[in-house]
Amino acid sequence: MNSLANRFSTTGPINELRRAKSVLEDDEFTDSAWGSEAGFGSLAKGVPNFTVPSVPDPSAFLRLHTDDYADPSCRIKIQHGTTTLAFRFQGGVIVAVDSRATAGSYVASGTVKKVIEINPYLLGTMAGGAADCQYWETYLGIHCRLHELRNHERISVSAASKYLSNLVYSYKGMGLSMGTMICGWDKTGPAVFYVDSDGTRLKGDIFSVGSGSTFAYGVLDQGYRWDLTDEEAQELGRRSIYAAGHRDAFSGNTCNLYHVKEDGWKFIGNYDISKLHYDGPGETPGAGYGYDVRVERSAAIAVQA
Amino acid sequence: MASADGVFSPSGKLVQIEHALAAVSQGTTSLGIKASNGIVIATEKKSPSILVDDSMLEKVAIVCPNIGIVYSGMGPDFRVLLTRARKSAQAYWKRYGEYPPTRVLTQEIATVMQQATQSGGVRPYGVSLLVAGWDIHRGPTLYQVDPSGSYWAWKASAIGKNMVNAKTFLEKRYNDDISLEDAIHTALLTLKEGFEGQMTEKTIELGVITVPTPAEIEEGRTGAATGRPKPTFRKLTEEEVRDYLAL
Amino acid sequence: MSIMEYNGGSVIAMVGKDCVAIASDLRLGNQALGISSNFQKIFPVTDRIYLGLPGLATDVTTLREVFRFRVNMYTIKEEREIEPETFAHLVSSTLYERRFGPYFIEPVMAGLSKVATGGFKPFIAATDLIGCLNFAKDFVVAGTASSKLYGAAEGLWEPDLEPEQLFETISQTMLNAVDRDAYSGWGVVVHVIEKDKITTRTLKGRMD
Repeated sequence: MNSLANRFSTTGPINELRRAKSVLEDDEFTDSAWGSEAGFGSLAKGVPNFTVPSVPDPSAFLRLHTDDYADPSCRIKIQHGTTTLAFRFQGGVIVAVDSRATAGSYVASGTVKKVIEINPYLLGTMAGGAADCQYWETYLGIHCRLHELRNHERISVSAASKYLSNLVYSYKGMGLSMGTMICGWDKTGPAVFYVDSDGTRLKGDIFSVGSGSTFAYGVLDQGYRWDLTDEEAQELGRRSIYAAGHRDAFSGNTCNLYHVKEDGWKFIGNYDISKLHYDGPGETPGAGYGYDVRVERSAAIAVQA
Repeated sequence: MASADGVFSPSGKLVQIEHALAAVSQGTTSLGIKASNGIVIATEKKSPSILVDDSMLEKVAIVCPNIGIVYSGMGPDFRVLLTRARKSAQAYWKRYGEYPPTRVLTQEIATVMQQATQSGGVRPYGVSLLVAGWDIHRGPTLYQVDPSGSYWAWKASAIGKNMVNAKTFLEKRYNDDISLEDAIHTALLTLKEGFEGQMTEKTIELGVITVPTPAEIEEGRTGAATGRPKPTFRKLTEEEVRDYLAL
Repeated sequence: MSIMEYNGGSVIAMVGKDCVAIASDLRLGNQALGISSNFQKIFPVTDRIYLGLPGLATDVTTLREVFRFRVNMYTIKEEREIEPETFAHLVSSTLYERRFGPYFIEPVMAGLSKVATGGFKPFIAATDLIGCLNFAKDFVVAGTASSKLYGAAEGLWEPDLEPEQLFETISQTMLNAVDRDAYSGWGVVVHVIEKDKITTRTLKGRMD
């Protein structure tokens, strides 16, 4: 029924795409021929163009073949294993992520940047499809800048996140996979929004996304207070990503930590999760977060006493 | 029936086993001698009539490439035990990828024979066996198994009709560093004592274990060209037996 | 999801000069969730044979007991210790008994076998989950990191390594391979078997 309605309606994302496709095919020189696939050429037309499968119902076709939690046996897999978190507190927003990328059980990379620096006041996190997050959050950055130029003031975190959620919603069902947190500081103070490719958009104080999110939530929830100091908050973010990196097979390698304050975000550091296990964030051997390491430490202290 | 088979007599004996041993002592004589570089097992083959095609008679038998046996007593019982022994050797090969050591195979046969002394509705096997084999762990070994299921290792032994005399003879002739060639001659000489009729390649059967050289052992382990180890036990051909008798 | 990857874990064995080494990771997982960082997958069979059992954890425990039983029965019956080659065949035939309902384990064996001239010869072998034997002259791998172990071992292994060099080689192979596998890691244990000595070392690995 839905596909029938889509076929004969003149509005909606599928028809938009169909129109975009026909425009693209009419061009003698495509954008890619000019060296820009959906780059500056797309902006000129207002909406980015994508070639879609040439079938009557492209979204049904894509649903069949692209990654979707509804169909785990699909052909095109995009990485899901991740831990990302962001939380609001008195001193701003803490954003912390791991850096592991997996393809099946294979650890494809241990140095992925999962925090996307949209602009000096906005950060986006990456979970789900790396390309989808990277592309659309960069695209979001362009529009945030256009907003600034048009209105002579920075876009609110709320507006930016809504722009993204509306955008991904227009592609609903076509296989986009994103679970992101748009974090920043605006007139209202520190703000965190959760946006995903289903079209969900949530305002909140604490979010964690990815396969390791349960482990991160565990640490986060027990250590969270609104009036955390900056140092305490950073430690909580780092400690939470460590917990996820330790327990979750699909998260790990390193932790990237950001702190958003009134004057924009600041990169705090990159921490090796194994080093956090054994030695902690500092340079003291044996001062790690690891359970065995802590037990050994308190045993050593007990012997001294 | 009141007097079941495997039941003790008041004097503590199992009469069925005594009777089985009596059956063995009526069988033709067999013997085995362990030499420094091998083992020989030998037996006298007696056909009930000249009309019997004696090419069918086989008293020295191959169990597996490293083990051979000979018997005295009842032929049909031996046939059953031989089949069981061969099956057991193959089952061992299937599980471990190699043939059983002599002792393990002997124990398997002995267990089968023991079970016949304790099960209802059966009689003990009417045979004694000599088991000759070679394995890497114990080298060449010679065992005797009796109807009771008991077994011993021997340097030389004899079973059957003339066993007492044969053993006395062997005791006189045996020494530890006898060669395989000498052992074969001693075996034939021993059989000659009390042999009824003519000793020919048709009335004598011989089997030998030859101890392999370290190189042959290594080749056997890697499978050689044929993909299977070279046998250490083999039966002598009629020609070979004739040649030994002529000497 | 494959049942062979349910708990994760990997084992490797390598041949050296008059010695062999066998190593495994220490992780026990429940799919993506790490449960234990002290789950042993390698067991001594005799003084000169070690057996690694990567695969489904419940079958690790079960097969460990099955082989202990069978090797003990063998030792009693034969009045001697089983040789590595014979044990490899025992492993193979035991697994094939369950051809149509297999144990989800890919065993790896390492040992020194007696040779006819006296002395010992290095021996390694591995089988698939239904007992197909693989006698290798260099190294054998199994478990969730097997493909990564092949890569690392292919690059690091060379013939006639002395015990200390072999330890270094197998350790680096294992540590680097498990870092590229989501289901293996959380520490490594290495056994080096020589004719008169067995050295067991636990290595500090990445804990993510």
